Amino acid sequence: MLALALVLGACATGPKAPPAPLLAPTEAQMTLRNLQTRTFDVTDRMVAMRAVIASLQDLGFIIERANEPLGLVTGARFAEPNFYDVVGITVTVRQRNEKQTTIRANAIFDNQPITDPEVYRNFFATLERALFIGRN
Amino acid sequence: MTPESAPNKAMQTRRFETPSSDELLSASAAVLQDLGFQVTETDRALGFLRAAKERSAREYGQEIRRGVVATLTGLLSIFAAAGGSSANAILVLPVDLQQQICASMIARPIDEQDRRQEVRIAFYRLVWKGAGSSGNQQIPPGEQRMEMIRDPEIYQTFYARLAKAVFLEAHRI
Repeated sequence: MLALALVLGACATGPKAPPAPLLAPTEAQMTLRNLQTRTFDVTDRMVAMRAVIASLQDLGFIIERANEPLGLVTGARFAEPNFYDVVGITVTVRQRNEKQTTIRANAIFDNQPITDPEVYRNFFATLERALFIGRN
Repeated sequence: MTPESAPNKAMQTRRFETPSSDELLSASAAVLQDLGFQVTETDRALGFLRAAKERSAREYGQEIRRGVVATLTGLLSIFAAAGGSSANAILVLPVDLQQQICASMIARPIDEQDRRQEVRIAFYRLVWKGAGSSGNQQIPPGEQRMEMIRDPEIYQTFYARLAKAVFLEAHRI
């Protein structure tokens, strides 16, 4: 009887309409994207990808996936000494024009996006070193 | 970057005097297969390879500790029962049951003419725990943990085999 009442009640209210701005970009998203994106004066996309991989390895990441045609590198590491928290990162490398390459890094901590600008600054500083100083 | 980054890099990296990163990649795959790994992912253009193997993770130390803790908490429960309490305080610790050992490696050229290649490999493991119980409460199995493998011997073994497979000397960085 109670179940029937509940079902009837649910029917009466009907499905809830989704809020309108569900897919609209928010201010926070734009800021985050700016933090995550850098453009470098690198002509060869391959050089940029190898530098991304080298700097992720230097930062202690395990390379989980790499795809050259798509310019995609995925890595993960545990936030040592705690073995339960995982930091994941996805980096995409795209040729912006003939002289420049755009690199975007998305980092997550336990499935939550990292919004701390310092994290991305650190990553790009390491990447810069790998790109411009690390050649030997 | 942490102070351990540099020694870790040195442990994980070797250089080879060869123009062919493909050769290093396929030889590495063969060596990893010899070591019981299954190759799970590759990208030839980037010289990327990943492999994994499953093994038992049971250790005597953990089993003994589990036994000792269960006995002690069992005795405690008996004393508590003698004192009129009905609380069950027996603690059965979950132990490591299964582990997946993984390897992720990159072979890349390090000079403009592609005469030398650098190989960097990282070994790590994922460990799954079994079930346990605390008093009347069950601890479900499946708790997971990951750790890097920092034993230099594993890296030395891998590079010794790889050097033999490609007839080249592995230079430390």
